Amino acid sequence: MLKSKTFVKKTRSGGVRKIVREHYLRDDIWCGSEVCQSCPQDSTVLQRNAYMESSLCSSPHYLIPDTNVVLHQIDILEDPLIRNVIILQTVLQEVRHRSAPVYKRIKDAIHNAEKHFYTFTNEHHRETYVEQEQGESAAELHDRTIRVAAQWYTEHLKKAQTAEDLKVILLTHDGKCKEKAEEIGLVSYNCEEYIKSLIANPELVDRLALKSEENNESDRGKILFPEHLPLSKIQAGIKSGRLLQGTFRANRDNYLEASVFVHRDGEEDVEVLIQGLRSLNRAVHQDVVAVELLPKSEWAAPSSVVLEDEGPKEDENEDEKENILKSVASEKMLKPTGRVVGIIKRNWRPYCGMLSKSHIKEATKHLFTPADRRIPRIRIETRQASALEGQRIIVAIDGWPKNSRYPNGHFVRNLGSAGDKGTETEVLLLEHDVPHQAFSQAVLGFLPKMPWSITEEDMKNREDLRHLHVCSVDPPGCTDIDDALHCKDLENGNLEVGVHIADVSHFIRPGNALDQESASRGTTVYLCERRIDMVPELLSSNLCSLRSNVERLAFSCIWEVNHNAEIVKTRFTKSVINSKASLTYAEAQMRIDDASMNDEITKSLRGLNRLAKILKKKRIENGALTLSSPEVRFHIDSETHDPIDMQTKELKDTNSMVEEFMLLANISVAQKIYEEFPEFALLRKHPAPPPSNYDILVKAAKSKSFELRTDSAKALADSLDAARAQGFPYFNTLLRILATRCMMQAVYFCSGMDSDFHHYGLASPIYTHFTSPIRRYADIIVHRLLAAAIGADSTYPDLMDKHKQAALSNNLNYRHKMAQYAQRASVAFHTQLFFKSRGILNEEGFILFVKKNAIVILIPKYGLEGRVFFENKDKNNPRLTFIEEIPALTVEHHTFHLFDKVKVTISLDSSNIQHQKIRMSLVEPVIPGVSVSPQSAQDCEPEAKKTKLDC
Amino acid sequence: MATVQISEAEKVYIVHGVRDDLRVDGRGCEDYRHMEIETDVVSNTDGSARVKLGYSDILVGIKAEIGRPRPMVPDEGFLEFFVDCSANATPEFEGRGGEDLGTEISNTLYKVFNNPHSVDLRALCISPKEHCWILYVDVLLLQCDGNLYDAISVAVKAALFNTRIPRVQISEDDEGTKEIELSDDPYDCMRLSVENVPCIVTLCKVGQRHIVDATLQEKACSKACLLLSVTSRGTVTCVRKIGGGSLDPESIFEMTETGKRVGKALQSPLMELLQKEESLGKKRQKVGFLG
Amino acid sequence: NMAGLELLSDQGYRLDGRKPSELRKVQARMGVFAQGDGSAYIEQGNTKALAVVYGPHEVRGSRGKALHDRAVINCQFSMATFSTAERKRRPHGDRKSSEVSQHLKQTFEAAILTQLYPRSQIDIYVKILQSDGGNYSASVNAATLAVIDAGIPLRDYVCACSAGFVEDTPLADLCHAEEAGGGTVLSLALLPQGGQIALLQMDARLHQDHLDTLMEAAMTACRSLSTVLDRVVREHLQEVTTLTAE
Repeated sequence: MLKSKTFVKKTRSGGVRKIVREHYLRDDIWCGSEVCQSCPQDSTVLQRNAYMESSLCSSPHYLIPDTNVVLHQIDILEDPLIRNVIILQTVLQEVRHRSAPVYKRIKDAIHNAEKHFYTFTNEHHRETYVEQEQGESAAELHDRTIRVAAQWYTEHLKKAQTAEDLKVILLTHDGKCKEKAEEIGLVSYNCEEYIKSLIANPELVDRLALKSEENNESDRGKILFPEHLPLSKIQAGIKSGRLLQGTFRANRDNYLEASVFVHRDGEEDVEVLIQGLRSLNRAVHQDVVAVELLPKSEWAAPSSVVLEDEGPKEDENEDEKENILKSVASEKMLKPTGRVVGIIKRNWRPYCGMLSKSHIKEATKHLFTPADRRIPRIRIETRQASALEGQRIIVAIDGWPKNSRYPNGHFVRNLGSAGDKGTETEVLLLEHDVPHQAFSQAVLGFLPKMPWSITEEDMKNREDLRHLHVCSVDPPGCTDIDDALHCKDLENGNLEVGVHIADVSHFIRPGNALDQESASRGTTVYLCERRIDMVPELLSSNLCSLRSNVERLAFSCIWEVNHNAEIVKTRFTKSVINSKASLTYAEAQMRIDDASMNDEITKSLRGLNRLAKILKKKRIENGALTLSSPEVRFHIDSETHDPIDMQTKELKDTNSMVEEFMLLANISVAQKIYEEFPEFALLRKHPAPPPSNYDILVKAAKSKSFELRTDSAKALADSLDAARAQGFPYFNTLLRILATRCMMQAVYFCSGMDSDFHHYGLASPIYTHFTSPIRRYADIIVHRLLAAAIGADSTYPDLMDKHKQAALSNNLNYRHKMAQYAQRASVAFHTQLFFKSRGILNEEGFILFVKKNAIVILIPKYGLEGRVFFENKDKNNPRLTFIEEIPALTVEHHTFHLFDKVKVTISLDSSNIQHQKIRMSLVEPVIPGVSVSPQSAQDCEPEAKKTKLDC
Repeated sequence: MATVQISEAEKVYIVHGVRDDLRVDGRGCEDYRHMEIETDVVSNTDGSARVKLGYSDILVGIKAEIGRPRPMVPDEGFLEFFVDCSANATPEFEGRGGEDLGTEISNTLYKVFNNPHSVDLRALCISPKEHCWILYVDVLLLQCDGNLYDAISVAVKAALFNTRIPRVQISEDDEGTKEIELSDDPYDCMRLSVENVPCIVTLCKVGQRHIVDATLQEKACSKACLLLSVTSRGTVTCVRKIGGGSLDPESIFEMTETGKRVGKALQSPLMELLQKEESLGKKRQKVGFLG
Repeated sequence: NMAGLELLSDQGYRLDGRKPSELRKVQARMGVFAQGDGSAYIEQGNTKALAVVYGPHEVRGSRGKALHDRAVINCQFSMATFSTAERKRRPHGDRKSSEVSQHLKQTFEAAILTQLYPRSQIDIYVKILQSDGGNYSASVNAATLAVIDAGIPLRDYVCACSAGFVEDTPLADLCHAEEAGGGTVLSLALLPQGGQIALLQMDARLHQDHLDTLMEAAMTACRSLSTVLDRVVREHLQEVTTLTAE
């Protein structure tokens, strides 16, 4: 059965090393085709009826794409139309090395049973193994290997003698490879010509990546950009210090300007300014680039001009604009300036945006304007331009030749009409990289089979706590209940308090597709009217949700505490609970307050509430911060799903009661897992902010003659408490809102990779997340660690690998950040919808920040923040004097300070369909020429109605 | 076994035999025992060879690594030798027991092979003063049955013949930084010319005569030996007296003459054999230790 | 390659094309050297080991080492300097090889009927000529054959094999890339007839629940190896008897 062959491989790691590996060839690798009679295979993937209406090939056929086709045309391969594809091991491995995202996508396609993608392990098949020949390069060998496998399939399927003439088509991008394939009698097409031949499905053509254009760039148009340096030269240049490596960040407001953040070990980070098209040299936001610094005499200052790329015009115009950038700048403002000389790594992703249809009627080439202003416009080729107008679409960049003003790309997907709620939600999910596709079959396959019930096996290592009077307290409408509580008196006079958390790690086993998907998603994302689950609904809203009156598996943290809320004993156990009630915060509060109620649940709640108050007091005494950020909540119309009311969230005692015990559980668990796994505990820390972060806060307090102390969290908390202005009750809240903005982001980390564990905001030396495993992946890991620590479950290698855990933490931190941004974007969009229906409103607000040419205003009623600009492109600008130290801004004769009360009108500005925004205009104080007269919604036609979005 | 002890009577028998040009195993004074050579026996080396001479069994593996040229000769690569007198050969070598013998042999090998007359050391230079190939020639003694030097030298020569050094290219950028680039064609290799690589002939003075390729028993009867390295043209590149006794100038002269003759005669069948083996290419059935 | 190696493909093939429970190709020969009392050579894939046995003979060095009721087993494991991808600076004496020497000693103390040779010594020397994972296992298997070649009575063949985990699948007989790929490696030496374990070694962390599966995989592999070794011994005997008959 086994044949042994050795092959030689040399790797480079400082020197040259000869590596010998065995390579076994097999006779038992089957073809996977339904028509085959010679392979004794149990199951098949490739269908008998592989019809595809093509003008090139009338008979049914299987496709074999080469590596470049998979890498560049993955959008095509993913299309549901494309089925019965043979993915060679050679191709799959190469894709794995070249692009992790494409590898994941092609694997998903292979797992999708409806796609009928078959992986053929050609390199271990006795008849398709190919040995490198003398003088053959690795690339040539690679291509030949693919041809040999294609030839084998052709011959192999011929033997099957079906009624239909089943063909095998090799898809390649490489002309030479195609030629050689035809020489040995293979059917081979260029990917483009094949896709174009699919007569029945012309829309597929749009999704083709524009690969070929880059090759014949020499004969088209003049060279606009300098050549990029090859990677080897870049590496040498970086080594010698002549070039700098950094991440390219395009300027949101000025398309001719960008900066490159250069991080060098042991040296201070530098920000290099890049100005002008030629210097930007085709770098796209987030690319890793190599820059060359210009001589000091050519350094420039960041311009404050807003420049929008208005599309292709005469070149002179462009130069003129670049000249604007170079205008007056004082010596002091000059920044290190450079130019991009090469690209180290492209970080292109599919971009959302809209088509700017060409003015020429028959044109097939159009410009696409991404929603993200930092991304350049992209030229795409499509025949459905008219249909795509006014739609939000996704476009991928294929390349950026040096003679092209814009990068070339291809159409990927239509999301729907712009302004449409569904479409806009999709856009904000995509733009924030939130994985939100339906769970794949491979993932769903790991869900428990329904009907589900607790088995004998499940009860192993598990305590029966069904008798306890456990209840859950959540916001109304909550379906993913991950925590429940109980409290009861013990005979010794102490109290027993239990926090019971959904046992998600019981259902999600390490390493399987379900686990990988959850780990990749990292968190559930809550948008205003939609929830993007981290785990499939069966788990999140059913099996893991600790609903009342059903038996659920839980992970319990049980304390014995005395009446001073001091912990006497802590223990952890996997358990089965049966919650007696699912309450809302309001319901729980009502029970506590209603003296007539004296059932077990209510008594339990009262006990919890009393303990929580003591715990909170202690925590605050320790220096924990209570900060506030206005959280907005929409009342959504049940039929139209439009927001009909907007208010800031109100907190009840019971909110804080649940929170207190969650914090306590998290801390107890953090201590336990760190004690058991000092190297591998997944913890959460919140670094203390650098003192300079507090500048604005201190200044704000000073404006009302309060001294804020920021040397410790405790000092800050105390001085914040003391800062209460007479007759200005909102002052303290404003300070706390500002303080929130000064804070650092809390992050997950692996205890073996860090030494600073402190959680600044909670004033706890150690902290982790344990209490929400349904919606946070970190909690699942923490559950697994805790389970291993108490001997209720096994460890597995990745859990005990601090590097892997650090990598996981990075992903989780990224996902959490993006989820937060997506949430904010969703709130912003719904705010816009709300104001669209309201027309123009007059509201009172406070100045939150004072800027050079604007003030930022917070409207407490809506928790809404907006800017009033005092500079306008076309109008005569008022006289502005800005004093940064205070800070204060004088407009004509009025001076604005922090926290000043103002009146504004609020309206929706939809002049740019892709970037609608809330506009605020000053009403009070009255500054002639600046402020506007108050308007009521009645006597002004809502502006939104004028520019209908979906026309 | 590195040495044997024999009785006086045995000694006399051996010495008398040598005097009559008829040795215990039937050989004449200038005859070698049966020798077996096989190259390319260890696949993860860049060159390897196994030589059996009598029961002496030698395995040589060569690994090429990139290093810095020596400051005195900035445009040459060099060879490094290590001789592992393994306990497999004899329990005497267990632990550090074989180290002295190993050092002695490797010093000699260094003298014989690591010079530009024997091996084209310049060909091993990649870029002067910066990069060169270092050939680590590792000798493994698996069994000792006398005349180690000769057997080892043949094995080293065969392994050098078998050595394939990956072809590298130096790319230089504007700053003058040099990068080493490897060809992705595994067949794209550099070979060393072994034309001038000498073989060692050890002559042992037994009684009044001298013999080549002494067995352990014969060695025990010998007072002193002379080691010569001889190229295919019969040029002597190194002479060294080894062993405890002394030799008169006359004997040294005679022994040198014999050594030249025998050494020259040894070279051509060796080269013939190596070339023949190579011409078989991939078809050759590798024997190794399974034969 | 940034992506690292994929140790087990979705199609269930390992790097070298084997299925998870398949062993590498095993080839072995006894009596490769004339001088020692017993010798053997084994190839398990690209791992090649040479074992030589001297003895039983009287105790070398200090007499104090001798045991009045059984033989002293003396083992030295070493590796040819060219045996690994990166050249080794010395063949033995490093921590790793001393450890393997110790393990070999323990393994063969459990397998050889040492009580038959009081006050004597048996030397087992193993040299790795080429290393591609499973050095200890190949050493044990080579030494077993060499001990048999030396005519020293054994309780049973001692067969050794390694096993490791990729996700939830146990892999038998790991090659170097698999050993280096992270994860736990377990080495096990088995006396197959009685199912006795002569040596068990595992360096990395593994949860107890997985130990059974991993041990089972290693033991199954050892059993298959024992049939191969048995065949080698029988063929060798056949060869020797026909030779002596002539």
